[in-house]
Amino acid sequence: MNGFSLNSGVRLVLVLWLCLLSSSFRSVLAETATARIVRTADAFLSSLDPKQKQAVLYSFNDDKQRANWSNFPVAMAPRGGVSLKEMNSAQRSAAMALLASALSREGFEKIQQIMESDEVNKLTDRGPGGGNGGPPPGANESTTPRFGDRRGRPPLGDNPIFGKDLYYISILGTPSETNPWMLQFGGHHLALNLTIAGQRGVLTPTLTGAQPALYTLGGKTVRPLGQESDKALALLNALDDTQRKQAILSYHLADLVLGPGQDGKTIQPEGLKASSMNDQQRAMLLDLISEWSGIIHESAADARMAELKKDLNETWFAWSGPATADPGKNIAAYYRIQGPHLVIEYAPQRLGGDPSMHVHTMYRDPTNDYGRSLITK
Amino acid sequence: MKKLLLAVFPTILLLVAPASAHRLDEYLEATILSIQSDRVEGSLRLVPGVAVSSAVIASIDANGNGTLPEPEQQRYALRVLADLSLSIDRQPLKPRLVSADFPSVEEMREGIGEIHISFIADLPRGGADRRLTYENHHQSQLAAYLVNCLVPSDKNIRITGQNRNENQSFYQLDFVDADRSGGDPPAQAPLFSSLSGFAGAFRLGMRHISEGTDHLMFLLALLLPAPLLARGCRWGRSATTFDSLRHILGIVTAFSVGHSLTLALAASGIVHVPSRPIEVLIAVSILLSALHAIRPMFPGREAAIAASFGLIHGLAFATAVSGLGFGGWYRLISLLGFNLGIEAMQIMVVTVTMPSFLLLSRTPAYSLLRVGGALFAALAATGWIVERLLNVRSALDSLVERAAHHGPEIAGTLFLLSSVSWWLRTSPASRSRCHRRVDEAHDQDQLPDALPVISGD
Repeated sequence: MNGFSLNSGVRLVLVLWLCLLSSSFRSVLAETATARIVRTADAFLSSLDPKQKQAVLYSFNDDKQRANWSNFPVAMAPRGGVSLKEMNSAQRSAAMALLASALSREGFEKIQQIMESDEVNKLTDRGPGGGNGGPPPGANESTTPRFGDRRGRPPLGDNPIFGKDLYYISILGTPSETNPWMLQFGGHHLALNLTIAGQRGVLTPTLTGAQPALYTLGGKTVRPLGQESDKALALLNALDDTQRKQAILSYHLADLVLGPGQDGKTIQPEGLKASSMNDQQRAMLLDLISEWSGIIHESAADARMAELKKDLNETWFAWSGPATADPGKNIAAYYRIQGPHLVIEYAPQRLGGDPSMHVHTMYRDPTNDYGRSLITK
Repeated sequence: MKKLLLAVFPTILLLVAPASAHRLDEYLEATILSIQSDRVEGSLRLVPGVAVSSAVIASIDANGNGTLPEPEQQRYALRVLADLSLSIDRQPLKPRLVSADFPSVEEMREGIGEIHISFIADLPRGGADRRLTYENHHQSQLAAYLVNCLVPSDKNIRITGQNRNENQSFYQLDFVDADRSGGDPPAQAPLFSSLSGFAGAFRLGMRHISEGTDHLMFLLALLLPAPLLARGCRWGRSATTFDSLRHILGIVTAFSVGHSLTLALAASGIVHVPSRPIEVLIAVSILLSALHAIRPMFPGREAAIAASFGLIHGLAFATAVSGLGFGGWYRLISLLGFNLGIEAMQIMVVTVTMPSFLLLSRTPAYSLLRVGGALFAALAATGWIVERLLNVRSALDSLVERAAHHGPEIAGTLFLLSSVSWWLRTSPASRSRCHRRVDEAHDQDQLPDALPVISGD
């Protein structure tokens, strides 16, 4: 044992100094997330013809377009911007590159699965054997009435109301690393509202949904919102009897309480408070929340998660409906996670017969929807 | 009973609900309530599903022409409000329509049209612990109900509980209004000093009288004929000022003694009476004193009547104090404060109104005020009796509330008018006219009358 020599002390200082130097180099050399998104946004905009560009761009102060999102098919609730369908393949890949740069890998994958689900919806809408997709046996989708079923009334022209190309992109303001701007992407069962202000990114309010919530694609079973369902059920099962009694609400919830159009409302929270959960349950709750908070790119997701962790004691978990699910399928129950800066709702829809096959979810920050708190500063 | 109903209701619902219901044949009716200290606001979002939209449209489209002009929209919105029932502390509230927005008929046929109806209802003053109930019975065959309450923006209001039945047609909201309890929620009651508790209770007592229209109306109706002397079965000439003051003081004191006694008994738990019959009896007491102001029914015994009706009013005060939720000696202190608050407010009201009564009673115009005021009180009392017996809300009630809101202005105008008429009356001409009128009245008194003569001069 030589103890702490001068030599090793110098070495330690040197190593620390090198670490510092390399990390500062990294931050200088590496592109920030906002810079990356601005670059892909500019690339997308320059791929558009003037008419398309005009259709995509809105004023940053356009509150009407800001709130122009819905769970409905685009034919019923028209979105602003330009759809993937109206783009050529180069423009479409520029649009998808923009999305990929703004979202995490998992988030981008989730979005694509939601869009694929609508493609399956469209194919099964034409009757059995209409395509390579389709719900697996037992899902029994086509025999039950569905949303958009025109019920013998004239069809909506040649335009199908479902499909993975019926998703619209719009930009409010000018992509910038310093000034606030906004990227919107959405269609049936999807509404991403990403506000970027400097290095900050805010993805609330965002709506995700799926019908069918379970389908096969290329021989693989896909559940776009499967984790949202499975992690919640696992958390419910991890609760003891007293906790479950508090978490499970005694009444039925037919739909989202704070869905589209319900901006800026904070309802009285209910259910089980995370302050009366143990460490393992709290970790499960945070992991469940990350299914929404982790859709956005990593650095914004990390900042958001840190905020939500701080709020954890004041965060509530409430459940309504069956406390079990068929193996491999989504839950048929509603649940809500609510904290000072968070509202998550998972609402199975009875429409379509099997509620586990049709899901709407909502992700909000009542104090900071559309990044309001960043912009007013 | 309500608990039993709540327990049984979901079971019934399970038996009645169709096995496979989907949104296509549902009518989503989502309510968001917002509570403030003096009012409750509600916003209703009504979304008919595709399969039921034509039925819903038909129910709005009264003339069946396929369009929904504004009068039809307005009528439908009012019908929706009529299908709601809203109450606070078991007292029914009448929601008023604020706005109604309708989507296009086409949007509704698609199943994406949302009807937005917003309403408002004033909350009468009450204790610190309050219970709001909201029921929605609109289109119950088709409805999928949702009810929620916003986190109150008023920091003094704290929601303590929410209860719903299985389908959310029934919703009950418990909340504490710290402002009403004199500063702090009862949970913190042991922490704050008895002095501030006393002051809070004192203020509560004052408010209870100034805003408890029924107590005020009883007192005023009883005081209306106080400056007069009964002549047989009619009110005759005015008593001397000294006698009038003696009457007034006697009535007010007797009322105070009466209600203090029962308030103390009820608040200490010695007497327990359900609030509903008490509320009815209070309305009856107003009716009787109003009738007495028109024709003397118990002349010379007003003080005794005031004391006995005071006993009833005291029982009602006790329910207000029980809302404070205090216990032990602390309760006694607040009880004292509450009672003194009531007295202080009564004295203020009497001081403000009595000069006008006294002045005006020396003029022939007084019979106008006496009979008019008494008729108003009698009508209001009848309204309250009906409302409290049948648990319905009458239009009269809101009229009374509105009049009560302008109390200071009414008192001021009254004083001005009585000063003017008294001044006019002091001129010799009007004096002789007045004497003639009194003589005529006296002559009429000699005629036989249906009403029994209780006491003469």
